Amino acid sequence: MARDVPLAVLGALTNVVLVLALSPFFQGVLRKLTARIQSRQGPPLAQPYYDLLKLLGKEDLESGEVPLVQRFAAYLALGSILAVAGLVPLGFRAPLSGAGDVVVLIYLLMLSGVCTLVAGLASGSTFSLLGTSREMMTMIALEPVLAVAMVVGVLHARSFRLDAVLDGSVYAAAVPASGLAMLIVMLFAFQAFVGRVPFDLAEAETEIMEGPLVEYSGRKLALFKYAQMVKLVVHGALFVALFAPFGSRLPFPLGFALFWVKVLLLVVFVTLVAATHARYRIDQAIRYYAALLAVSFGALALASYGL
Amino acid sequence: MLAREVLEELKARFGASVERADVPAENRLFVFVAPSALKAIAGHVFGDLGARYVISVGADDRPFSGKFLVAHDFALDRDHLLMSLLALLPEEAPRVESISGVVPAASWAEREMKDLVGIESVGHPYPKRLVLPDGWPDGVHPLRKDVRFDKVPDGFDPGREFEFGEPPPGCVVVPFGPFHPTLDEPAHFRLYLEGERVRGCEYRGFMVHRGIEKLAETALSYNDVPMMAERICGICGCVHSVAYVQAVESAAALRPPPRAEYIRTVMLEIERLHSHLLWVGLACHILGFDTLFMQAFRIREPIMWVAEKITGNRKTYGLCLIGGVRWDITPEARTELRQVLDVLEREWRAVAEAVSGDRNIQKRTRGVGVAGADQVKECGLVGPVARAAGVDIDCRRDHPYAAYDRVEFAVVTGQGGDVFARLLVRVREVFESIRIIRQCLDKMEPGPLALTVEDDLPAGRFGLSSVEAPRGESHHFVITGEGNRPRRWRVRAPTYQNLQGVPGMIKDQRLADMTIALGSIDPCFSCTDRLETVDVRTGASRTWSRQELAALLEEEAQGRRP
Amino acid sequence: MSIASKWKETRIGLSAGRVTLPYPARPRPAPAGFRGRPIFDGAKCVGCGGCASNCPAREILVFDPCQEIRILKYLGRRCTYCGRCAEVCPEHAITMSQDYETATDRAGDLEQRLELFMSTCQRCGRCFEPKTPLDRLKLKGYRFDDLDHERWVFRSQAYLEHEPPVRDLEIELEE
Repeated sequence: MARDVPLAVLGALTNVVLVLALSPFFQGVLRKLTARIQSRQGPPLAQPYYDLLKLLGKEDLESGEVPLVQRFAAYLALGSILAVAGLVPLGFRAPLSGAGDVVVLIYLLMLSGVCTLVAGLASGSTFSLLGTSREMMTMIALEPVLAVAMVVGVLHARSFRLDAVLDGSVYAAAVPASGLAMLIVMLFAFQAFVGRVPFDLAEAETEIMEGPLVEYSGRKLALFKYAQMVKLVVHGALFVALFAPFGSRLPFPLGFALFWVKVLLLVVFVTLVAATHARYRIDQAIRYYAALLAVSFGALALASYGL
Repeated sequence: MLAREVLEELKARFGASVERADVPAENRLFVFVAPSALKAIAGHVFGDLGARYVISVGADDRPFSGKFLVAHDFALDRDHLLMSLLALLPEEAPRVESISGVVPAASWAEREMKDLVGIESVGHPYPKRLVLPDGWPDGVHPLRKDVRFDKVPDGFDPGREFEFGEPPPGCVVVPFGPFHPTLDEPAHFRLYLEGERVRGCEYRGFMVHRGIEKLAETALSYNDVPMMAERICGICGCVHSVAYVQAVESAAALRPPPRAEYIRTVMLEIERLHSHLLWVGLACHILGFDTLFMQAFRIREPIMWVAEKITGNRKTYGLCLIGGVRWDITPEARTELRQVLDVLEREWRAVAEAVSGDRNIQKRTRGVGVAGADQVKECGLVGPVARAAGVDIDCRRDHPYAAYDRVEFAVVTGQGGDVFARLLVRVREVFESIRIIRQCLDKMEPGPLALTVEDDLPAGRFGLSSVEAPRGESHHFVITGEGNRPRRWRVRAPTYQNLQGVPGMIKDQRLADMTIALGSIDPCFSCTDRLETVDVRTGASRTWSRQELAALLEEEAQGRRP
Repeated sequence: MSIASKWKETRIGLSAGRVTLPYPARPRPAPAGFRGRPIFDGAKCVGCGGCASNCPAREILVFDPCQEIRILKYLGRRCTYCGRCAEVCPEHAITMSQDYETATDRAGDLEQRLELFMSTCQRCGRCFEPKTPLDRLKLKGYRFDDLDHERWVFRSQAYLEHEPPVRDLEIELEE
């Protein structure tokens, strides 16, 4: 047992490094595919790496109300989502899955959302506050959907342990109705979780000038942007682990590759939806989330009856 | 009613107040009235005769008649008449009763008269500064003949601020502009928000006022002005240069040759095409729909290339001179233009179909930024904004100019007056423009490109011209003058009127809709502002920060710089 | 239906392919007739000053340091590439090139300066033949635009005195 802890930590670090290395690539795929739909050449696939490097080197103007909290928010944003990476299987068993349960996962995911709120509030400018209020409304309506998805998994796996839940537990032995319902709900909600058009209202550049991130520049902005990219990958990994675990039992190279192919397909899906829609207004978005929430509660009810 | 009939009607009704009249053509009328009766006559023309308000002009006529001149321009669209009510005001008392009470659309024009010429409109409901910067000294009116064009007067106060009104109770102030990603040009909308709803708004603009009208009166000559006029706006330049030369030609009774008229028409319609395609792209970008933005611009690009082949530049065509045009449409250009139009029509049809059925776009644009027919009449709104509300006005048909009387086209109207209606109107106008260009290309006969003007233009004549810009009616008022330049030139861009309708459009709407509502009037602040502090010294058009400008002006005031 | 519209919109984009041009990796010449940077040919110029008079941006300055020499300076800063100078020049000494890549960090790079030997020219202005009276010279006579401060000065002198030219004017020919 004493040997397991350093191994687990090392494994977690591997996860973190893997996610940090791959998420800009997926962002690059998203940008390239968007460009092709728009009849453009688009940036090279490695562009997000260059962008992050460049931002890290740029001047960091501290122009918000409470710069100390702004710094804290930036580091916490990336830190919390990387912590989730340690808990999520990325083509192999999650190294820290014994260290926490579903509740910890939900908490960490919500924490990354709260970081955006803190970021906006610490900036104190009119537009960041507007963005923060939109983000707050979104979180209140949307995070429960994620929580319900996890709980459905818990109900089917009959355990709170992450390695049990995040192993396609939603399907258990057969394909239950609640599992299917949650799959559809999560598919419809995925765009909102990763904050892309039509659900990127909190950072609508043309309306509220980037919202909570308006007073960030240089290194802090790089951290936020990185956190957004990592969020896309982590949510994708979560989705695949919960709802599309087929082939996870395959031996190492194949299973690993298959997992990432599935994440790539999800990214392509996000891109297609983002490229073909106009942004929703907050009231329209809330109504949409409310509908999703209603269906997810229905699925929860079904799951509690074992369906 | 023809010009003479309107004149007889006014004479019958107002008797001796109608002092004198000029009827240079059937579709133009200039009536000089007594200043005391100006408001009553304006109210009669606007209310009873149902005329559309166009603009009010103030001019310093002291070197010539010893008086100040006030003109209120109206349009009787159904009767194809453009008319102007003029009054001469005594030098020592340049005051006239404000007509904003009976013609609400005159609000800005009267404030501008006060700022630039010093003619006070007594009884104006909102007599704050409009055009001049906050620190400009009182009593110095730039468009007066005794004020130099190239110097800032003494007494500029950099610390003085504009007095905004109090926000309504429970509202928070959100500044929209002067820097905002959606706005291409600076303008300041002071929004009063209650939560996400806009409860009120105050506008402070004219930040790109560049002094064009003053330059035309002092430093430029008749044929220099069209080159500057087309730089009033970054998109609709040709419109302003055509409107100016038409106003001067109308004042001097010159008629350009037919081929020149056809070429002007073709270039105006090409401009309409590129402007509308740009707008559709921009509107989609504001809504977050970048794919359609890119597609609209891709489809638009061939038009820019063909304009470049014909005139030598993508947008600033340098087309007009008094009496004609400078560029010809060669047979090769004609063939290429036809090909471009065919491809454009096909691609645009695909986009038009996709957009009109798209529920996602409709959700963001239906019921947003509504301006109904009443507001159109009150605020004098023009262009697609008016047509989307069902008001059937279009200068190309109502006040035909260039070759529009020789081509057939339909005026596209919509219903509802919301952003979606304006989107549809603009999308459909593209097809009408293509139709007009094709007809012009067919009907154009070979001939001279310009009139040989034999003599100097006569001075002291009045000219009006209304041209349908992509955004609405662009109206130019010219008084010809001595020394080969106009005495007075007033440019009324369509956005000047449409901006006055924006507070009504965004009231009680959500903040998220503000940008698309503003964007739907297709605002062109450069057209509206028209002021240019021409820095003759460096020649560079730098954007000065407020502090830099203040420092420079202080230096000048202290005589350290000439 | 919305999905159908979305599919149509996507198809519009995909069927158009890639339209990005490889500029500046591959140069893109402007079409013939493009109004680029004007090129002044000193060999053909006779120093009439018609270009300067008809430049709407007042970018061409004229200075007569003495009777025998006239200096014409094209600044190139506010130049709007309208082509009026080329249009009115009686000697066709100005051509609008196809050059549009004029970005530079030194304004002086765009300057073109002509120093012309005028012999006994009295600056009467007859060498400039305006196409219409509207294009006529704004000022005849000796011109004293401020070359150092790059500023048009609306003054001229009929006779060149032996003293150095002053900014105040003695004779105002035209405004």
